[in-house]
Amino acid sequence: MQLYRKKKIEIFVEATRAPMIIEMIEAAGAKGYTMVPKVSGKGNRGVRDGGHLSGVFRNVLIIVIAAEEIAQRIVSESQPLLENYAGIVTVSDVEVVRDEHF
Amino acid sequence: MNELFQIAFGNLFSPMVLFFALGVAAGCLKSDLSIPEVISKGLSLYLMLAIGFKGGVELAQNGAAGTVIIALALAVALSFTLPVIAYFLLRTMTRLDIPNAAAIAAHYGSVSVVTFVAATGFLGYRGVFYEGYLVAMLALMETPAIVTGLLLARRGVSHTTADGKPLLSPQIVREVFLSGSVVLLVGSFLIGWITGDKGMAVMAPAVREPFEAVLAVFLLDIGLLVGQRLGDFRVVGKPLVLFGIYMPLIGAAIGLVAAHAIGLSVGGITLVAVLAASASYIVVPAAMRLSLPQANPAIYVTLSLAVTFPFNVVIGIPLYHAAARLIGSV
Repeated sequence: MQLYRKKKIEIFVEATRAPMIIEMIEAAGAKGYTMVPKVSGKGNRGVRDGGHLSGVFRNVLIIVIAAEEIAQRIVSESQPLLENYAGIVTVSDVEVVRDEHF
Repeated sequence: MNELFQIAFGNLFSPMVLFFALGVAAGCLKSDLSIPEVISKGLSLYLMLAIGFKGGVELAQNGAAGTVIIALALAVALSFTLPVIAYFLLRTMTRLDIPNAAAIAAHYGSVSVVTFVAATGFLGYRGVFYEGYLVAMLALMETPAIVTGLLLARRGVSHTTADGKPLLSPQIVREVFLSGSVVLLVGSFLIGWITGDKGMAVMAPAVREPFEAVLAVFLLDIGLLVGQRLGDFRVVGKPLVLFGIYMPLIGAAIGLVAAHAIGLSVGGITLVAVLAASASYIVVPAAMRLSLPQANPAIYVTLSLAVTFPFNVVIGIPLYHAAARLIGSV
């Protein structure tokens, strides 16, 4: 089967900041994204356990699959948005089946 | 004095406070007891619906003429000005920087819905009347403090970064004015007001009888969250913990005097004192995280949730009620 090379960007970010990240992802030209609304773990800012009162101590995971140039744009534009917020951005190579979806 | 003692003691041994204490203890000891998030969310929605509805019905029954408008104006005024007092105290009594002081100040001008609900539970438990429309004060007090907090923070920010940016971004405006709690409180208040006694006949089995029991379960849940946050006291530090106790007392004193001046009942005076004393830990943290990211959420959430909230629920409410009875009898 024919597979197409794409980039997968994973952004772990504070829940309160997620709407702005998603806005940026769409503006950068990605055709879609997936969001895991609650993830927990430990990092620079200590344990982020998702305390359920407001999104302040909760992280979400946003996953975007896109062509390389769009991925580059998302990664560079995510940096100023993550200043002062909990955030991790990773990029990896993936292959997808349906090229036209991304 | 004896009576004051009785009120305070009675409060300590109400099921609400004891369930809260159970939650705090379990949270501190890292018990695996937890209330699933969806249930906790459901309980809080129920409490807001019930309190809003009851308030609306009460307004329909008793009317209130001009006092309602005055009370609403008072709510907005309190919410705008309390943060200025809090900010001044924080900047003189602690070493906090401007963004953190401004963020905390905003919390103390805004209100805690659960503290208000606990206070109505306290009054209900004792059969004390209060003006139902005070729920509208509760809804109005959530936001103005956020504006004051941001204005205070802006004084410290260099003009280049502040210029051109609106004080409140569209996202914050939406989040704050259309926050679930405000929509449900105001919505059920209006429904209660429109439907009055007939509406109450339908809703009473759901909104009257189980109210205090549901509140007790919800306080168990909040207790667990408070217990888990107690470890963060280190981040907060002693001067701030003290602020978390004397600031509500100052707010309550202002609320008592103002509520007495506009002629509310003893129950009403108690509730306004509670409103002025309480600090937000849901809406304002989210708004501050968005607009003042330099401020540390571990500080402001711990302070309002783990210091001021328990203080108000356990000691504050009976204290403010006793003071309201004193001032109300003058």
